[in-house]
Amino acid sequence: MTQWSGSDRGQTLSAGEWTDTARILQDEGWLLVDLCGLDRLGLSDEAVETRFEVVVQLIHHDKRERTTVHVGASGEPPTVPSVTELWAGADHMEREAFDLMGIHFEGHPNLTRILMPDEWEGHPLRKDYGVGKVPVEFIPQPLLQIDSAGQSPNAEGAHQAIDHLGQGSPDGGEIS
Amino acid sequence: MSRSADAIAEAFEAAGHGAYVESFDRDERMIINMGPVHPATHGVLRLVLELDAETVVSCRPVIGYLHTGMEKECEDQNWRSAITIVTRMDYLAPFFNEHGYSIAVEELLGIEVPKRGQYIRVLISELNRISSHLVWFGTQGLDMGAISAMFYGFREREVILDFYEMVTGLRMNNNYVIPGGVWEDLPDGWRPVVENILGLLPGRIQEYEDLLSENPVFLERTKGIGTITADECGTLSTTGPIARAAGIDWDLRRDMPYGAYPDFEFDVPTATEGDVYARYTVRMEEMRQSVRILGQVVDGMPDGDYKNMDPKLTPPSRSELNRSMEAVIHHFKLVTQGYTVPAGEAYAAVESPRGELGVYAVSDGGTAPYRVHVRDPSFVNLQALPVMVRDGLVADLIASIASVDPVLGGVDR
Repeated sequence: MTQWSGSDRGQTLSAGEWTDTARILQDEGWLLVDLCGLDRLGLSDEAVETRFEVVVQLIHHDKRERTTVHVGASGEPPTVPSVTELWAGADHMEREAFDLMGIHFEGHPNLTRILMPDEWEGHPLRKDYGVGKVPVEFIPQPLLQIDSAGQSPNAEGAHQAIDHLGQGSPDGGEIS
Repeated sequence: MSRSADAIAEAFEAAGHGAYVESFDRDERMIINMGPVHPATHGVLRLVLELDAETVVSCRPVIGYLHTGMEKECEDQNWRSAITIVTRMDYLAPFFNEHGYSIAVEELLGIEVPKRGQYIRVLISELNRISSHLVWFGTQGLDMGAISAMFYGFREREVILDFYEMVTGLRMNNNYVIPGGVWEDLPDGWRPVVENILGLLPGRIQEYEDLLSENPVFLERTKGIGTITADECGTLSTTGPIARAAGIDWDLRRDMPYGAYPDFEFDVPTATEGDVYARYTVRMEEMRQSVRILGQVVDGMPDGDYKNMDPKLTPPSRSELNRSMEAVIHHFKLVTQGYTVPAGEAYAAVESPRGELGVYAVSDGGTAPYRVHVRDPSFVNLQALPVMVRDGLVADLIASIASVDPVLGGVDR
C-alpha cells in the first residue's frame, strides 16, 4: 500500500533553479498535478527566506509516487519562471496563483486574472489582505417611481410619496 | 474594418455580458460568445469561440463568475468548521471535498480513523460517485436530445439523495465527513435502504444503456467527437474518467489507495478512443463498479467507533457531560476554540467522480487553517476542452462540454 506521508516538505528551490529542475522532472515522466501560491507571512520558518512560495505537486504514474516542490518567489512583484511549456496544464494553475496571490510567472503566454474580475485591485489570498477589510460599496440609488406602463423610471420625479416599503399613496401626497 | 481576432476577443472581454455575434473580414471568421448563462454550459461557464463558419477554430473558457473566495474563507474558520466551506465547492460531489480535506488534516494531526469510520466514508463516497455520475448521465443525454435520460437520471439520484438526508440530515453540502471519521454513526435501518438502492441500480443502469448505447442518434453525436489523446491528458494534468477514456489506466483508489479501499475488489474501466462515447462507457462502467464496491461495504461493515474518540478532538457525549468535569472542559474548549493542529503542511488526494481532488493544507500550529488550497478536478479538466473541440462543429462542442462534466462551483471556488 502506497500511502504518501503529508509531512514531507519535498525539495525547496529558488526561482532560478526551477526551470532546469522542472525540465529534468518532466523528462523523468513526472506529471504536474497541482500548483498553488503560498504566502508565508505568518509562518515562522527560519529556513525559508522568501515570503512567497509556489508549491508544486507532481505525480509519477509508473513509480506510483508523489513529490512536492517548493519554489521561492523573490522580488517585487514576486516572480518565478512559468512551466507552461513543459506542462500545458500549468496554464490555469499559474493564472490562479497570479490572480489570488500576485505571483508573476515569467514566460506565461496569457497571465491575466482568472477568477477575480479583471479590474480588481490586490490579491485576495495574501495574508495582508484581510477577510472583510474591503468595504462593499452600495451606491445609493434614488427611489424611482413610474406612474404608467411604458414610462421609464424617473429619478427627478421620485418623490416622497413612497414609503420605505416602496408603496406609494394613491394621490401622490406625503405619507404620514 | 480590420481588427485582429485577439482585439475583438478583448473587446468582448471588456463588454462583459452584452456580447453577441460580431463578424469581421479576415477569413470571415467570427468571434461568438457562449454563456455564462446558457443551458448547455452546465453552470456559469462562458466560452469565447472563434468560428470559421460552423467549425470551432479556437475556444477559450472564461471562468470566475461563481468565485466567492472559499479558500480565503477557510482561513477564517477553525479546522473543523472549514468543512462547511469545502463541502460547497464541488456541490455534486460534496463528500469527496470533505473526504480529501479530512485526510489532509488527519495527516497533519497524525491520527487514525477507526475502521467503521473508513467504511462509512467509502459507503457514502461511492454512493456519491453514482449520484454525481447520474447528473452527468442526465445532462449528457439532455444535451444530445434524449430528454428522458434527464428524468431517469434524476429519478435514481433522488433515491440516493434521500439516503444522504437519512444519514446526514441534508441532501447537499452535507458536512458529514470530518477529520477523524464521520460526524454521526449510520442511523438504524440504514442497511435495507442501501440494499434497496443496490438492488435497484444494476437494472436501472442497464436500462440507461439500452436507451443510449446503441441509439443511432447518440452514436452519431458522440463517436469520434471531442477526442483527446493520452499524451494530451498527461501534459494538461487531466484526470478522472476523461484520462481513463483516453487510455491512462490510473485510479487513485487502486493505485494510491486511501482509507479502506485496499479492502475492496473492483475494476478500473478504461478505453482508448478518448472520445465522448468512450467517456460515456467509462462512466457507465464506473457506476457498476461502485455498486460492486458498495455490496462489499455493506457485507463487511465492521462494528466499533465511527470517529476518532480522542477527547482533544471529539466533543464528549451528552451522558459524559453529566458526570465528568473534564468532559465539560474539553467540550468548552472544542466548541469555543476548536482543536489545534501541529504546524506543517499536507497534500491529500481522493478520486472524485471528476478526477483527482487534492487538498493542500498548511497549519501554523493554531486552531484555524493557515492556508487551504483545493485542486479541483473540474478547474484543471476544463483546460482539456479547447483541445477536444478544435476543428469540430459547434454542435459537437455541446457534447464535449457535457462529457467533461465540469461543476462550476468547484471550478470557481
